[in-house]
Amino acid sequence: MTGAWFLVSSLGLVLLLTGLLLKNATLLAMALPYFVFSLLPFWRGLPKTQWKVHRSIEPDHIWADQSCHMTVSLMNNGEDLEEVTLTDMLPDGIQVEGVPTYHGNFEAGKVHIVRYEIRGVRGKYEFPGMEIIINDLLEMNRQEEFLPSPGTLFVLPAIEKVEKIKISPRRTRVYTGMIRSRESGAGVEFFGTRAYVPGDPLRHLNWKAGARWDLLITNLFEQERVADVGIVLDARSVVEIRTNGESLFEHSVRAATALAEYFLGEGNRVGLLIYGRMVEWTFPGYGKQQRAKILAALSKSELGDHVVFKEFKNLPIRVFPPQSQIVLVSSLLPEDLYPLRYLRAVGYRVLIISPDPIAFEKRFLPQDEHTVLAEQIARMERNATLSKLRRARVNVMEWDVTLPLWISIRQSLVERRR
Amino acid sequence: MILWVKRSVAVWSGIFLVAFLYGHTEVAIIGGILNLAWVVDEKLRPTLRELIRPSMLIINTALSAYFVLKGEPPLLAVLIAGSSLLSWNAGLFLRRWRGAPLAVQYRYLKHLGAIIAVGLGAGLSALVLQGRFSLRFFWALLLMFIGGFLWLWIISKASRKESAGS
Repeated sequence: MTGAWFLVSSLGLVLLLTGLLLKNATLLAMALPYFVFSLLPFWRGLPKTQWKVHRSIEPDHIWADQSCHMTVSLMNNGEDLEEVTLTDMLPDGIQVEGVPTYHGNFEAGKVHIVRYEIRGVRGKYEFPGMEIIINDLLEMNRQEEFLPSPGTLFVLPAIEKVEKIKISPRRTRVYTGMIRSRESGAGVEFFGTRAYVPGDPLRHLNWKAGARWDLLITNLFEQERVADVGIVLDARSVVEIRTNGESLFEHSVRAATALAEYFLGEGNRVGLLIYGRMVEWTFPGYGKQQRAKILAALSKSELGDHVVFKEFKNLPIRVFPPQSQIVLVSSLLPEDLYPLRYLRAVGYRVLIISPDPIAFEKRFLPQDEHTVLAEQIARMERNATLSKLRRARVNVMEWDVTLPLWISIRQSLVERRR
Repeated sequence: MILWVKRSVAVWSGIFLVAFLYGHTEVAIIGGILNLAWVVDEKLRPTLRELIRPSMLIINTALSAYFVLKGEPPLLAVLIAGSSLLSWNAGLFLRRWRGAPLAVQYRYLKHLGAIIAVGLGAGLSALVLQGRFSLRFFWALLLMFIGGFLWLWIISKASRKESAGS
């Protein structure tokens, strides 16, 4: 039954009761057209329905600035329907180009296809299904159905290119790569010299050293191998700053994506740990499949709170291979100092890419003396934390998020050479 | 097409109502304004439109009932009620499906016409049975023809449905 049915029935009933109370037969006669209307749903019920639905999202992994085609085909295996409204239920935050609904008649055995385009910001979007509203042409009878047709769309974070990041974990893997392994062997970087032994390639003879020592001396080269890199994305709500609709966490996700892309591109074995609401661990791996896994994990990463994961002291370090490289993307809190020092102490090499929360927030504040003073105080506190970390031989790279990541990395490399 | 059906029926029910309200100036003005607004409700804001649609039906029904109680002609009251129902339902259809194909519009009008005819027929029959107005031979014959046609139409449709089912 519909609202229209209730209105007509109520009017009919009021006329009937008034007619009965006042013993007025004309009012009873007036009530008859209303009753005929309200009896319609009982006389002519809605047809039985049977649906077959198929959803296709093409492609189901897109970048943030891309759109994808959504096609939902619906087959009516029941009876003819005079009027039907099909609405594809959309998750929050998705932008639609086109019409995700259909309104019209639907004959038995026919197929109707709803096509539209969607785009969205980074995230995982679940499409639950279709809402179907069937009513008769006079709107006296109505039936609502939900037809499940699940689909998932991943909107991947945009990838920023990073030129070069120098890491030097204490332990590398056996395969040839781009990271210096501290072992002599086939490579291009000079590692040292030793006395020539038969079998050494003659082109590696160091003639100057040989002339000095009156011996045959051969050059040694440092082997370059791949390494284990564990990327840790800090997704704790306490480090988040959200101003003017912009989120610092989104910048962190962008940095983690760029780093994963870079390290995988260099042939390393990369794992991802998202630390915040819970520990979401993507097991380390190589190549394109691992890239897809990491991007999918990053696309659905969300900020969260958990008593256990409020501080880095509960970081599950055992998931990272011993003496491997850990890259942490976090804007850092003063209390994160000790857990990170501990990581360094147990043999991990730690690189921190730290999106600068002060520079991020400053843009949205009024430029007056109070802001300047507040910035100076916050900067002093942050610098103290960062310098303590640097003294503990933790490599910290501060990133002003108003600049592209590669510029910050290049600047930090230049500073290190000085 | 349905828009013009709705408008013309609304104009007629408005005219009937205002004629009915002769001598009751204030109520006639209110009824007239409401019916006029209902005739051109497409030009109004959606929220106002949603308010006017049921208000028109309720007020037209209430006024018809009031004037029946005042002893005015019952035939006009039943006709106003029937035409208000018709234009109200056409308004509902237009809200849902403004650009409906012509075939659907015809089908809708057929359904609506049948229901209104049955409703009015029942109302008028009740009045006749009460002896509230005497029909002339021509009108009685016309009503019989219409009733017979409707009866045949329903029977033939039911039999077609049955044969399609078997």
